[in-house]
Amino acid sequence: MPAFGSFALLLALALSGYNLLAGAIALRQLATGSRGRVSPERLAETARRAGIGSFFAVTSAAFALVWAAFANDFSVSYILHHSNRALPGAYKFAALWSGQEGSLLLWAWLLAAYGFVLRARHKVDVKLTAYASTILSGIQIFFLLLLNFAAPPFALVAGTIPQDGFGLNPLLQYPEMVIHPPMLYLGYVGFAVPFAFALGALMMRYPGDKWIHITRRWTMVAWLFLTCGIFLGAHWAYSVLGWGGYWGWDPVENASLMPWLTGTAFLHSVMMQEKRGMMKNWNVWLIFSTFALSILGTLLTRSGLVSSVHAFAQSSIGTWFWAFLVIVLVVCLFTFILQRDHLKSEHKLESLVSRESSFLFNNLVLLAACFTVLWGTLFPVISEYVQGNKVTVSAPFYNRVAVPIGLFLLFLTGIGPILAWRSTSFKSIRKNFILPAVAALVTAIVLVACGVYPLKDQGTFYSLMAWSLGALVVTAVGSEFLRGAGVISRHTGQNIFASMIQLTRRNTRRYGGYIIHFGVVVIFIGLAGSAFDRSVEQELNFKQSMTMGPYRLVCQDYSQDTNPNYDTEYAILDVYRGDKKITQLAPEKRFYQASQTTSTIVANHSTLAWDLYVIYAGKDPDSGQPIIKVFLNPLVAWIWIGVVIVIIGTFVALTPNMTAAYAASRSRLPVRETPEMAVSKGGD
Amino acid sequence: MSTIACGLLLIAIFIYVFYPDRHPEAQIQKTRLDFLRERKEVLYDNLRDLNFEYRAGKYPEEDYAAQRAALENEAAEIMAEMDLLERQTLHSA
Repeated sequence: MPAFGSFALLLALALSGYNLLAGAIALRQLATGSRGRVSPERLAETARRAGIGSFFAVTSAAFALVWAAFANDFSVSYILHHSNRALPGAYKFAALWSGQEGSLLLWAWLLAAYGFVLRARHKVDVKLTAYASTILSGIQIFFLLLLNFAAPPFALVAGTIPQDGFGLNPLLQYPEMVIHPPMLYLGYVGFAVPFAFALGALMMRYPGDKWIHITRRWTMVAWLFLTCGIFLGAHWAYSVLGWGGYWGWDPVENASLMPWLTGTAFLHSVMMQEKRGMMKNWNVWLIFSTFALSILGTLLTRSGLVSSVHAFAQSSIGTWFWAFLVIVLVVCLFTFILQRDHLKSEHKLESLVSRESSFLFNNLVLLAACFTVLWGTLFPVISEYVQGNKVTVSAPFYNRVAVPIGLFLLFLTGIGPILAWRSTSFKSIRKNFILPAVAALVTAIVLVACGVYPLKDQGTFYSLMAWSLGALVVTAVGSEFLRGAGVISRHTGQNIFASMIQLTRRNTRRYGGYIIHFGVVVIFIGLAGSAFDRSVEQELNFKQSMTMGPYRLVCQDYSQDTNPNYDTEYAILDVYRGDKKITQLAPEKRFYQASQTTSTIVANHSTLAWDLYVIYAGKDPDSGQPIIKVFLNPLVAWIWIGVVIVIIGTFVALTPNMTAAYAASRSRLPVRETPEMAVSKGGD
Repeated sequence: MSTIACGLLLIAIFIYVFYPDRHPEAQIQKTRLDFLRERKEVLYDNLRDLNFEYRAGKYPEEDYAAQRAALENEAAEIMAEMDLLERQTLHSA
């Protein structure tokens, strides 16, 4: 199997090389009108098929590595270092992306899979897809060069082959770790597709903005995967790292956040290009930056460039990545300079109070956030280069900048839908803004009355702002739904709820987007709760108790267990609220035999109001007494609920619109003529 | 075993890539007229959105009238250019 895997990777490299070369020659011939011995159309078709063939070759290689993991083939160095006989099946599968070589193979496989879909759907625009396919093959070549020459996953162990492997990093032996990295990588890699289309469209001077329409779903899918990956990572950190939080501004967390921020900016600003033919230069650079940041993210995760709790690899492939990044940026810059006259805007910004300006501010704010995160993440590297010693930037730096930026973004989320395209009159603002503003004000007053005093400390002030602005956004989004549903209800005779569903189905992009905004508000509500986190740590012996908030924890037992993979030591704690026992928690500490390392398994009792988060911190070395650490984290569950709403909203936005004729056929009234049906369609 | 698997993979992919395709898809260059048709559709969409939002009570009458006039002017310019290009195409044919 190792030989087959190595051969498949070499074959994939050859196929990608052919895809790039033949594709480029064919496109050149088509552009200049010259012809070789083979027609350019035929040559381009073989290039496309070579791209599809590379998918099968990389799939074969990935299959060979998974096979080696399940067959406990410790002659393969990668399997020896990332698996062992006692490792459960799901984690053996996850070993594919738990180390450097495997995760690069996953990158290459996902890119090949995206490329496969793109090339299979080439009829949507044959010429543009040919450009995108050729560009994708260039990216694929880089990863296949790495896999064949710098980080081969099928390298063999020299000398005697050990009987058992060294095991998987214990931090990675958690169910979410089976899906978190692929989700994150699906996001990173997914942005390569809109990048390839954007660069291709610029190279061929594609007339119009249809390439955005073609890539919209690709971008949303990549964004969705990245969102899921980021929050799965946050949930994993919350459940496994045992420090009581879910986001620590760790460089690897930041690495995934940066392309998410620019990708979010891109998803918003392309609407200006589609609707008004504006911001063409900006959009092209946004997607170029998003892709470059995805590569930077992979570099940070995989090269060991920065210290992180979850940079699981240390190696010298950083040079390769830097070289690739430079090549990507040079190609982008060169193409942009050559074709910049093609990106002239069709309109100018007419007013600072308009939908366009709200998108512009949204973009500026997201980019400011991205720059802050980038600066903080790379500061240790820059400081080491300049001063010779590494200066690390910690969470307070990020919070000081990111929290106000986040709140301003939330404000823009609320007012954006209220503003009209081109310009908004004062009368219109007054008409649409009063209700959301009143909602925000009432929320603030109620919260202050409930004891959330804004002047108490900065955290409380920000929380009050977040919840009040949340009320503003929810009211603005809610009134958009109600107004639109009102029109449909009057038109069709349906009740308001059915009208709301129909409204959403008629313009899934717009109303799916509003659902996403609602989910973002719910996430912000949860994040704002962190200002009120509390924790206590104490020695807790058998039958002793400790109190946290409304809860009383009584220790029932301490126990030990063992299985072939790890030894575990855990506490059994009864949790009471008043005199009523509500649950039993069992926080654990595990010792993994293969890797000789420990890990913490948190016990969590989660409600809508707060999480009772309990850690077994081991035994006090002096007294020998067990130590229990308890956190009371308010509103954390809202974050995960908000993410689910965001996912639902994205699925809605990805769904094709219901046609006006179909909608009319479902209403109680007779079908009207086309102009009427068109008018009743939801806006975008 | 590995050698056979490698050979089979190589042959299968080679045949797939180079098997003659008698009717490869033509790569058609989009014209200015295609672009204008797309823009026209976008403008119609914008008009529909504007009408819908007006009916939903989002804009005052005067804002609606100004927005609508601007969009209609833009659509008229595009349609005039389309008309010109279509006539030129007819003449050249």
